[in-house]
Amino acid sequence: MALKAAEDLRHVTAILVVHDGALWLPEVVASLTSQKRSADQILAVDTGSTDSSAALLKGAKIPTLSLDRESGFGDAIWAAIQTLPAPTSPENEWLWILHDDCAMHPDALKKLLEALEEKPQAIMAGPKLLGWHDKSHLLEVGVSIASDGARWTGLEPHEYDQGQHDGVHDVLAVSTAGALVRRDVFVELGGFDPNLSLFRDDVDFGWRARVAGHSVIAVSEAKGFHAQAAASERRSADVKEAFLHRPLLLDRRNAAYVLLVNSTWWMLPWVVLQLLGSATARAIGYLLAKLPGYASDELLALATLVIHPRELASARKFRKSHRLLSARVVKGFIPHRRHQIRAGIERLFDSIRSTLLPSVSETNTVLDPLNEDEDLLTPSTTGRWWTIFKQPKALAGFAILILIVIWSRQRYGSLVGGALVQTPEGARDLWSMYFESWHQIGMGTDQGAPTWLAIIALGSTIFFGKADLFISFLFFFAPLFFMLASFRLFSKLTSHNWLRVTASFLYAISPVAIASINSGRIGTVFTLILLPYIGLLIRDWLTIENTSWRKVFLISLVLSLSYMFSMQVFVYVFIATLVVTILDFLKYGNIRFFHDRLLRRLTLVFAPLLVSTPWSFSTLLNPKNLFLEPGLSIAGGGPNFALISNPGGSGALPWWSVSPISLILLVGLFSSTKARVVSYFGCGAIAVAVLIGSLSISGHGNSSPVRTWTGSFIAIATICSVAAGILILDRLREVLVVTNFHYRHILAGLLVVVTTLYSLSTISWLVTAGADSPLRTTDSRVLPAFLGVEGAAKTIVLRQVKSDGINSLQYFLARGHDALLGEPDIAPPESSAISKAIKEIADGSGISASQVLGQHGIKYVFAKSPTDKDVVRTIDGLGGFIRSSATNAGIVWKVNGALSRINFIDSTGKVSEIPSTTVGTRTQINSPGTILLTDSYSRSWKVFQNGFSLERSKDANGFPQFKVTEPGEISLLHDGTARRGLLSLQFIFLATLIILAAPAGRKRREMSESELT
Amino acid sequence: MNLKRFAIVALSLGLLVATSNTLDSTISRQKFSMSYPSVVCSPTQSGLSSQVSLGSRKTKINRIGSTSTKFFNSRVLRLPVPKDPILVDAQGITPIIWQSRAGSWAGGTICSNPATSQWFVGGAADITARGKLLLVNSGLSESIADVFVWSSTSPAVSKAVSVKANSFESLGLDSLAPGESSIVIRVLTRAGRLNSFLVDERGKGLRTLGGDLVSPGVPPSKEIFIPAIPLQPRVRNAPAQQLRLLAPGDADANVSVEVVSGDGRFTPVGLDAITVKKGQVMNFPLSPSVSSSIYGIRINSDEPIVAGVFANVKRDFVWSSSVPALTPFTIAMTGMTSLLVFMGDDIKVDLEISVAGGKKVRKTIQGSDIAVWRIPANARNLSFVRVSPNTYASALQASTNGFGSVPLVAGSVLTKSAIPTANIRVLNP
Repeated sequence: MALKAAEDLRHVTAILVVHDGALWLPEVVASLTSQKRSADQILAVDTGSTDSSAALLKGAKIPTLSLDRESGFGDAIWAAIQTLPAPTSPENEWLWILHDDCAMHPDALKKLLEALEEKPQAIMAGPKLLGWHDKSHLLEVGVSIASDGARWTGLEPHEYDQGQHDGVHDVLAVSTAGALVRRDVFVELGGFDPNLSLFRDDVDFGWRARVAGHSVIAVSEAKGFHAQAAASERRSADVKEAFLHRPLLLDRRNAAYVLLVNSTWWMLPWVVLQLLGSATARAIGYLLAKLPGYASDELLALATLVIHPRELASARKFRKSHRLLSARVVKGFIPHRRHQIRAGIERLFDSIRSTLLPSVSETNTVLDPLNEDEDLLTPSTTGRWWTIFKQPKALAGFAILILIVIWSRQRYGSLVGGALVQTPEGARDLWSMYFESWHQIGMGTDQGAPTWLAIIALGSTIFFGKADLFISFLFFFAPLFFMLASFRLFSKLTSHNWLRVTASFLYAISPVAIASINSGRIGTVFTLILLPYIGLLIRDWLTIENTSWRKVFLISLVLSLSYMFSMQVFVYVFIATLVVTILDFLKYGNIRFFHDRLLRRLTLVFAPLLVSTPWSFSTLLNPKNLFLEPGLSIAGGGPNFALISNPGGSGALPWWSVSPISLILLVGLFSSTKARVVSYFGCGAIAVAVLIGSLSISGHGNSSPVRTWTGSFIAIATICSVAAGILILDRLREVLVVTNFHYRHILAGLLVVVTTLYSLSTISWLVTAGADSPLRTTDSRVLPAFLGVEGAAKTIVLRQVKSDGINSLQYFLARGHDALLGEPDIAPPESSAISKAIKEIADGSGISASQVLGQHGIKYVFAKSPTDKDVVRTIDGLGGFIRSSATNAGIVWKVNGALSRINFIDSTGKVSEIPSTTVGTRTQINSPGTILLTDSYSRSWKVFQNGFSLERSKDANGFPQFKVTEPGEISLLHDGTARRGLLSLQFIFLATLIILAAPAGRKRREMSESELT
Repeated sequence: MNLKRFAIVALSLGLLVATSNTLDSTISRQKFSMSYPSVVCSPTQSGLSSQVSLGSRKTKINRIGSTSTKFFNSRVLRLPVPKDPILVDAQGITPIIWQSRAGSWAGGTICSNPATSQWFVGGAADITARGKLLLVNSGLSESIADVFVWSSTSPAVSKAVSVKANSFESLGLDSLAPGESSIVIRVLTRAGRLNSFLVDERGKGLRTLGGDLVSPGVPPSKEIFIPAIPLQPRVRNAPAQQLRLLAPGDADANVSVEVVSGDGRFTPVGLDAITVKKGQVMNFPLSPSVSSSIYGIRINSDEPIVAGVFANVKRDFVWSSSVPALTPFTIAMTGMTSLLVFMGDDIKVDLEISVAGGKKVRKTIQGSDIAVWRIPANARNLSFVRVSPNTYASALQASTNGFGSVPLVAGSVLTKSAIPTANIRVLNP
């Protein structure tokens, strides 16, 4: 009864602010009039609505105050208050602030008043806001602000209202939609900040109320249904500050404003940093989602504030004058950073999950009435564990794992051998190699590291920096990856479970897969993994004009990865594009349709080259490198092996294990199905492989030509062959059953027999001789440890190598360690002087060989065991080489009078060593003279003294030398500006392609209301 | 339609296979280099004069001991060598060095490439000995050699000698085996690029007894040929012509000597069953009764031996060394009018002589057992174009100062070796 009396004393004035809200207004007005405790007075403020809002208000007979269109929300409220009569009992005078897009529950006002009765210190109370369309969607139960300015409700996205947040809660602020505020306090605090004409005015007011010693509560029993029309861009933001009419810009600007004007002064730098950081991060996110407008909003929002510092200063001054309590009182309402991070991570994972695992609409469960009795009567069935083996995919996966365990029994650890060289211990080494402009390989080179090294470095980083672990993991599980990747492609070609599983298994044990793993061909391994994905995306290549540009860029992105590891893929795509374009031109002529196709196809050819720049262009400039894959240049099997789809070479399947790949491609050529088209591409790849396989190319640190490895071409042929096989066999059984005996029956039988024989022979070979492959775990090193003590001391390593049945003497210049990943790809050709000296050492005519080697800074000659006795005798007898040691590892000679890497030659000709770091040095020079660097000449070698660059020239041997005219500190370095520039360019190309390939985000105005709510 | 397609596929396949295999087979993956190692000519001791016969005026030479390693054109065909040894980039034309002491003696030998082992059968270390063993290091690091000396009375001794880079060492024979009148020396190179030369010079008081450059002979073997031995005239009070033998192995050797001359072949009395004690240098008088002034010997043994023949010719003496079978090669003969002596069962040697003025003369030497031919005075280079198997040859040269014997052996042979290739693969285990 007392409560009822108290209620009666309160005077509630409902102020409804309307701005183009005709869509929601009828319901809002209805809700207002149906309140169980009705407002004592209703006043509407129309801010220049252009729709039928004004007419609706008039029809509802609500007194309306009209303001111009640019008036903000705060202005509207303040204007309404000005029209009200002076309060008679200030503590009982309340304002109920209403939005034109927020309908209130009939109990709303009553419940708000009841809660306020219970909490007399509260001067503001807000309802629980629910979605307009989905009334179970919880929007807000009080509101706060995160440290990055984000509106913080403490709720999960699309949180379902189950009463979990019910009750009366002390909050920092409540939304202005449905907020009940005491009129005298509102006026005393100056109302809503006129600088916040829309958005965040509620949080700002709540903050100010808190520090003024008041309390704000959220009352969950009072409910409102909010359409959030402005935030969801259902109407334009026409307020004065929103000069670009962009709601997001205004929202971000106001968020930053609230933080900057309300935070304590000593927190300001930190707040500014957070705002800047979060704005940049969000801008990048929006750019990736191809929403540049939103991205610019983020940054412009801060800019609009920064250019008005006086506005901020005066706002801070105003707040200071009304502040009674320390700012710490709001600290409890600001979400902890931990909660913010957790919420961010959850949102990210939700997004990834919804992308990868789109929810299946379970219509049957919704539509079908639940028969609980039936559920109880249904006997429960529990699956037996062995039933998993009835699933073809699981069975094949299990089989391949067993095969891997046996086949790769020599590969439990760090791998080396074949084309794969030693992997550096850490991802950091790989990254630094990728970014560095100078590499200590041979006599040194300024050639940029290949792009694939960055991919390996990235993979190693994911493996906690363990590069060797990543490489071992990759090679060990490569067959499984081949199978899983190809299964995805083959699932699109057939619904026959056994067929696609068998096909993916065959792909995993195809000759090229086996050879690439056994001989450490990282390029082909990656190609084999990527090809099924490329196949998935590129299926419509012949009619590519119907493919969206986003998909074209996505294919380009995947092709970029492939190009990085094998430019053979580029060669193939280029040739295929050329041939098909010519055929298209002959067929269709020069019409727009042709242009659309050509443009998209050319994008696929050249866009990946841009992403792999600068490596791709340096490869194009040296065309023979197009056919070289990462790692050492090891011979392939030649054209005849290629003809049977076996790349050959060390570690490859023997010739007698003939795979059905080429046979299927041949059969496919006579097929009348889509298999024929696929076979054309496969046969093309085989033809290129056969032709290229007959060429011998030198490179990658090998001066003598070796038969080209055509793994990637054969990998393309293999995937085409298996795909063609699936297409042929998919419906063949039904056809064979119903037709008379003819050549198809013979071919099918032959195919099955050859495939079975191949599978059996291959598996037998893999578990026996195949396991003894060049790629294996080994601790052995070429260079003895003591030769690595002197840092990058140059050592000529001589070794007898048996290749193609011929024993030959080979050599290379080591820099204190064995060859490392990526080094063969950029190894410079040996200098002619060194080659001549080594030749003379071998034939015994090199009287001055030691002098030549010494002048090149080569300190040691190491003949690796088993040594050639003639060569050893020759070196012993030549002179200039002093035998230092002879161990099981080999024999080491010290080269007489060898120069150091960096030398100082004074005016008398005396040579002294300058200690060097990895690349350059910084040291004191005590007299004029010459600095001689016994590394290859590069224009980027620079020596600085007293801020000036010393003159660079070439000495008689072509080494860089610098003239020092006065004593002082000098600093020698290799200038990596050009490399950094090119890598920046690559990053720009990559980022652009990722943005173009990424799914585009949608503006809020493009989303349906149901999606938004 | 299918038949047509089949034909196209078959034809394409055939073309592809043919093209690719043709391309594949045309590539050579192994390259070879052929070169003649540089040869070293002996240094010239004080009081001697030396001339080196060279193949051309553009022959590259370098003085061992000079700071520069660059080679210069010789500019002459007969190069005087004042003191230091020289390194000659002879390009397959073996130079001859002729040394003499005015009015006393003369001798010659070929300039050869460094050897790991050289055997010298000759020399004396007694009171008359003034000879030297010259060790030349043409390399750029220190050379180490073991010098083994066998004598007639003492067990073999060895001495380690180190020779500094790009220099030579001279060892007195009397210091190697003091008091020994008959010695055999072996120089075994342990490290470095080393050549050895033996100068056997003798005197008694102020009277010179002659001298010679002892050419290195073949390593110990069971069959030895010494083709050019001047028949020593019977001179009263002069030492007899002697055959020096050494069985350096672990067993005594049973040796028989066959004299080959224009008179035919025969085994002199007393030389059909000689026992050469192991490790002991033994001299046997050799004075065959033959009508020709030059003869050769063929020695057979049941154990590996080395051999040389000492002959007094007027005031001088000559050491005839054993030689390996003659092979085609070219030797520079400028300034020489040597008498070539060939020995073999069936001698047939095609010669090509380039003479002054650039003209080339071809000559075929034929015969059995032994054949002799004197080269013309204007000869420059002598090429053995075709040589019958098991033919052995040496040259005898007379000059105003004395006589010498030069083995007809290539100083350096064409070396064919696979060119080493740079391959970073060597840095991969």
